[in-house]
Amino acid sequence: MERIASILGPLSLVALGALAAVGCEDAYAPVSSPGVDASVLMHQELRQEDRFGLPAIATVFIPTDLKDAYNEAVPAGDEANFKSLIVAKLMAFGQDAGSANALADALTPDIQPIDVSQPTGFLNGRKPDDDVITAELHLIFGSNAALNDDHVDANDEPFLATFPYLAGPHVQ
Amino acid sequence: MLRFTAPRSRGRVIAWGVLLATAAALGVTRWIKASDHKDSALLAADPAADIADVYTFRSPVNPDNVVLAMTVSGFIPPPEASTTFFDPNVLYQWKIDNNGDAVEDLVIQAFVTGTGGNQVMHFRGPAAPSVTGATSRVIDGPETATVRVSNGETPITASRHGMTVFAGVRDDPFFFDLVQFKHIIAGEATSFRNPGIDTFAGTNVLAIVVELPSAQLGGTKLGVWGTTSRPQF
Repeated sequence: MERIASILGPLSLVALGALAAVGCEDAYAPVSSPGVDASVLMHQELRQEDRFGLPAIATVFIPTDLKDAYNEAVPAGDEANFKSLIVAKLMAFGQDAGSANALADALTPDIQPIDVSQPTGFLNGRKPDDDVITAELHLIFGSNAALNDDHVDANDEPFLATFPYLAGPHVQ
Repeated sequence: MLRFTAPRSRGRVIAWGVLLATAAALGVTRWIKASDHKDSALLAADPAADIADVYTFRSPVNPDNVVLAMTVSGFIPPPEASTTFFDPNVLYQWKIDNNGDAVEDLVIQAFVTGTGGNQVMHFRGPAAPSVTGATSRVIDGPETATVRVSNGETPITASRHGMTVFAGVRDDPFFFDLVQFKHIIAGEATSFRNPGIDTFAGTNVLAIVVELPSAQLGGTKLGVWGTTSRPQF
């Protein structure tokens, strides 16, 4: 607040109000808008509540009682802490130890890998239109045609060709 | 909280396949929260911090750019599209590993100020964080970019310092026949239907999207993950 006061000291409250109003109407807020300093996050220790790397994989392989611990953990510990759970579950799905271990190695750490010098397509990054569920069902259930494809191949709305790429909201 | 509760079993219970019985017993039912929407009781009660999905892709407009997208607060129904907001108490981050050790070398941070329909999303980074791991701090400013949060159909975007940014409500880009998957797990079906039905059709999420030159991320082979964090008080 001290810094804001020194910057805004010469301005009357009325002028400040006018500035704020202008800021709200502007699609691009000023870089040093007063709102930044009002953020409750400043100078705080912030604790991780959720994380996300590979779609759905963590959700499949991490049991409920470990879910919060997993969400609060860091990827660097995934192989040590969670790989054995993934291997066990894949073997329960019918995979042999070798393939289960190989797949678990690819899924830990739980990070989305991308080589930006190459075209994107899951598992090289993830585009919005990538059918990641079917890709993962194939990884898990192999050639079992009843279970290796959910036959939903695309989003319900077309993605945009330009930024921000995601389709507009459904509204009433 | 899920708004597409599957119908209860109607009479005859189809015999469980060995595989699916095993899968159910081992907790594949957790996937009913897929992709990561409402993936624990804690997060189901905290939708603004609940990451639904993360996307990383080379820009289809400019191959020198990379696009990072994060969605939170899954299953926003159409009537609530314009009245569901980001939480000012949550720090949204992309963490980027550019040397293969699974530790973030750079972060891009986003947080909102303001309430209701007048929120502004602030972006910082990419920059090296002062602390890595499960504890985070807002990195030193100034902001790389800021943008008003979009509450309607027309996306408000902003570009500054080479980064283009967006934050606001969008159609949920995720697609999956979750309902049929639930039937399979419950032993009420033995296979997916063809064609399937997208359970996420017609629902919205809060999305944060940035596009920036890939060169700013310090390498071509990257590992990306999203996190949400809150003050510890």
